[in-house]
Amino acid sequence: MAMSIVHRATGIANYAGTALLVLWLVAAAWGEGPLDSINALYGSWFGQLVLFGYTWSLTHHMLGGIRHYVWDFILGMEAGQREMLSWANLAASTALTLAIWTLFVWIK
Amino acid sequence: MHDDKISRQTIADPRSRYGNAKASTRHFITQRLTGVSNIVFLLLLLFVVVRLAGEDRAEMVATIGSAWIGLPLALLLGIVTIHMRNGMRDILEDYFRGSAYGLYMTLNTLFCLFIAVAGIGAILKLVFWG
Repeated sequence: MAMSIVHRATGIANYAGTALLVLWLVAAAWGEGPLDSINALYGSWFGQLVLFGYTWSLTHHMLGGIRHYVWDFILGMEAGQREMLSWANLAASTALTLAIWTLFVWIK
Repeated sequence: MHDDKISRQTIADPRSRYGNAKASTRHFITQRLTGVSNIVFLLLLLFVVVRLAGEDRAEMVATIGSAWIGLPLALLLGIVTIHMRNGMRDILEDYFRGSAYGLYMTLNTLFCLFIAVAGIGAILKLVFWG
């Protein structure tokens, strides 16, 4: 049940987060100056914190979406299975986010 | 449709034709199709961001400016904005009715359109003009 609202919340976060992606692309198209500003902003500790949250939000919403495709085939809807899928969703999104940041940011 | 008072009975009664019968099915299908596309988008996005995070403009032009990366990215970003608008519609349908729903839905459409035009415009600029 709680995961339903999380799917919605991460959807809203991704809705806003797309603006961050587009801002980066527009800055790159605009010129070196704007791109440097965006890189400084996104590279700051606060920027990194937001991007880390955005990464988790995207992966969680993607896995939650896949869960909906599973449900579309009337699978995993029983009590117990639903809860298991919710916890798997949460664990997998957290693990994926940490894996992405470990591999591509922290040890890069 | 959205001006009707929605009660528990309205929702429970199949004859009340609660919701927009034709459009709701289309929104459901659209959200499923664009959702699949978004998984592809996330993989491409991961590649692009990992390669370009913090890089200078020359690197951005070299990677996104390549039509093989830039054009799919632009297409997928357009599909993402459809998914964004559709998903936000689901939320707005739950909390607003009548003219308030219409107003927020218009703002939703404008935001998604703005994101699409700005993002795709920026990518096409990098692809065709560097």
